[in-house]
Amino acid sequence: MQQRRKLSQKQINQELLSGNLKTPKWYIPTMLFLGFFVVTGFAVILYMFNTGLGVTGLSRPVYWGLFITTFVFWVGISHAGIMISAILRLTQAEWRRPVTRAAELLTVFSLLTALFFPLMHAGRPWRIVYWLMPYDFARGIWPNIRSPLFWDPIAIGTYLTGSTLFLYVALIPDLAVLRDRTTGWQKVIYTILALGWRGNPRQWLLQTVAGILLSALMLPIFVSVHSIVSWDFAITPSVEGWHSTIFAPYFVIGAVHSGVSAVVTMMALMRWLWKWNNHIRPEHFDALARLLIVVATAWLGCTFLELIFSVYGREAPEIALRELQIFTWPWNLLFMIFLFTGYIIPVGFWVFKKARNNIVIMFWTSILVNVGMWLERFLIIVPGLARKQPFTFTWEAYTPSLVEWYILVWSFAWVSFLMLLFARFFPLIPLFETKESQVFTSETKIGRATVPVIYREED
Amino acid sequence: MATQTNIAKYSKATSELIGTTTIAPKKIKLIIMILSILSILGIVGIVLKILNGFEDKSAWGYYAATISFLLTTAAAAPMVAIAPTIAKADWVRPITRIASLFSVVGIVTALASIPLIFALPPLIVDETRRRSIWFEATNYSPHVWFALSIFGLTLCGLGLLYSSSIPDLAAMRDHGTGWRKKMGKSLSRGFIGTDGQWKSLKMRIGMMGTFYFLMLMFVNFLFSIDFALSLVAGWKDAIFPMYHAMTSLQSGIAICILAMFFARKYWGMENYIKVPQFWALSKLQLATTVLWFYFFYSAFIVFWYGRSASDQMVINLLIIGPYLPVFLGAFFLEFFVPWWILVWNPVRKSIPALAVVACLVLVGVLLDRIRIFVISWSTYSNEVIHKKFVPEENFPQFMAPSVADIIVFIGLVSLSALIFILSTRIFPLVSVWETHQSLLLTKVVKYVRTHVIAIGKPD
Repeated sequence: MQQRRKLSQKQINQELLSGNLKTPKWYIPTMLFLGFFVVTGFAVILYMFNTGLGVTGLSRPVYWGLFITTFVFWVGISHAGIMISAILRLTQAEWRRPVTRAAELLTVFSLLTALFFPLMHAGRPWRIVYWLMPYDFARGIWPNIRSPLFWDPIAIGTYLTGSTLFLYVALIPDLAVLRDRTTGWQKVIYTILALGWRGNPRQWLLQTVAGILLSALMLPIFVSVHSIVSWDFAITPSVEGWHSTIFAPYFVIGAVHSGVSAVVTMMALMRWLWKWNNHIRPEHFDALARLLIVVATAWLGCTFLELIFSVYGREAPEIALRELQIFTWPWNLLFMIFLFTGYIIPVGFWVFKKARNNIVIMFWTSILVNVGMWLERFLIIVPGLARKQPFTFTWEAYTPSLVEWYILVWSFAWVSFLMLLFARFFPLIPLFETKESQVFTSETKIGRATVPVIYREED
Repeated sequence: MATQTNIAKYSKATSELIGTTTIAPKKIKLIIMILSILSILGIVGIVLKILNGFEDKSAWGYYAATISFLLTTAAAAPMVAIAPTIAKADWVRPITRIASLFSVVGIVTALASIPLIFALPPLIVDETRRRSIWFEATNYSPHVWFALSIFGLTLCGLGLLYSSSIPDLAAMRDHGTGWRKKMGKSLSRGFIGTDGQWKSLKMRIGMMGTFYFLMLMFVNFLFSIDFALSLVAGWKDAIFPMYHAMTSLQSGIAICILAMFFARKYWGMENYIKVPQFWALSKLQLATTVLWFYFFYSAFIVFWYGRSASDQMVINLLIIGPYLPVFLGAFFLEFFVPWWILVWNPVRKSIPALAVVACLVLVGVLLDRIRIFVISWSTYSNEVIHKKFVPEENFPQFMAPSVADIIVFIGLVSLSALIFILSTRIFPLVSVWETHQSLLLTKVVKYVRTHVIAIGKPD
């Protein structure tokens, strides 16, 4: 059954700019609700800075807890944008078009949010400056450039810069459309941002080439970011469960799994909130779910290899850690939830076409994936540190405090708030991509069947 | 769409492609004769090796490398047909048959791996269980499970080849002569192209393809661990099975490119296998080339930073040890040189250049296999296997291949090539039904001032 509808350019503009040219009814209450959590969240963060990290549950030997887990989680979510936008663009997947902008946006905002967590985790964030420049010339203390903790901000900074550029370049033609349809101060801002876009052939050529080049350039950065985050753990032999060669691809695949699932969640919300039924269709969810089956299975394979090789060495501390992580209360419950929500339940649904085309099922299963993926990071980071070591002289069990939980909730509210704020001023579905899709796709009759057709340039 | 012109095109394609099974390229008999002699020599070499016994494990290193080379090269080639078909790529149709024909080589690999299974040491050595993924399993578990899996993979590959050939066998029944007609009649199992038969065929191809992929991963997993990693005391490398599988895909793509090159040159397939097929595969080849480095580096950095005795041993033994020149050969031929060549788009569209790159990659993969398997089999000894790591004084010296090793390698490669060539006398080198599908679903249409290709994408 063909779900695609032929739409005129005017209709596309009307539908996709509806949220930008007028405010939807639900918008202000939602923003107020999210704003409450954002403001109170910032207040809690300031309270933590003022009081010190003692208000968190962090203590010897668990110094990395909820904050670092959430940092890894948001860096993982940021992999959505490049996976959807760059890889699918390079492979010329036609179904990517309505999803690209939202995915790129999610990348930028989740990276911005991720950056907060190491800063907060430092307790006195202003001292971060010492990581970036020589601490004290007289005593010869320098930042350790061999440390992955040093590479992290560089990798994330590069990724954030690249992603923002990627988002902006793809936004230019749509900014010109908005420039031509607004008045007053909005027009002035859109005019500046549109960089004199007129849509002539040369500008289109440059825009297309820039898109392809940025896609190709972003790919290695995309892989390196989460690899470097994984090496924060993997190059540490002293913590059982961390020193594994598979961590880099394992983290990257896991990131793609959670990032693409987050895009599915967002697509469902976009369809429901803005009523973009003509643009975000069940076929898009179907395609993403098929991609997710492959990604999730590869991720499960990595999980399996990681577990097998942790006990392969037959070293008592490593086996003790796995016993703690998988068989000891309450970690065993978390482990089961992680396995079921990260793979078994979602993929169990996605193998059925009906479920893949059911947006409600896709929405909830994609949320489940991210519950599982957050738990995965938590189970990697905390039990390794929490396992009782023979020569540990002080010992505290780790229980995240209310402050940490609130900051976790704040991070979700903050990303949603920024996304909605962006959506008020810029189109969440690229107008020019949608119009291009209308031109590049068609239907043809073959025998009794109607078959979708795509157009490609002749080689 | 089914005009008279198209019907004429279908008939021409059918007769041309069925004709490839009867009309032999020039000098084919001579080639078959040479390959047969070399194959017999190879079999004699294997018999001699068996007669020399299984006690000296180092004598089986090059044999293990040869089996790994065949396993990774030929067994991965069908993936070139499977993955793009599942992703609905239209360019893959002319080359699916060439790729799946490599599954017949699986027979050689499976049979030749039997002596190696006998050479593999049991799990219990000197009354102590050696380190393996089989933990408390029975003494010969790796032997039994590997044998089952390699024969399972071969059967699955043959099943895939047969399933995807049924419509062509039916065409042979209707258009062929002599024994081919009879064979077509009995093997096509009454295929006349009803809706139900097509649906069932596509479902079978999809299922067999998925199953083949999973089996391939499993065989790579078992072979890489049981026949290499677990033979070296202290080598714990969770990414290694994935690395083995990934290089397998790299060489699978390379061998397909080479086979496509020969199909054009000697079987006159220029009208069917064209630049787009090479271009698409070259991009995959480039991706796997870069992935080689990523997987290698992910392991290397963890060992490098780990600094434990076993971590240092892995680097000293497998990289900078006595096999450094072999490692450098693999590094340059699997990654550095192909990467620098394939990064240029004009080269990716040049068929001779791609054939050269494919040869380089295959040599690189062979060197990599020699590095891994010869080192593993010559490091193994009953005394060292229970240690935490291999002490420097137990590192093996560089071992050149014996005459028997060279004969066995040439013999097994010749036997594989022979079986492949003989199978082209039964199955058309390019799938007839997929060529028809291409003709039906692809056409050049005028679009404004240019011409574009309209590609039908049925569900």
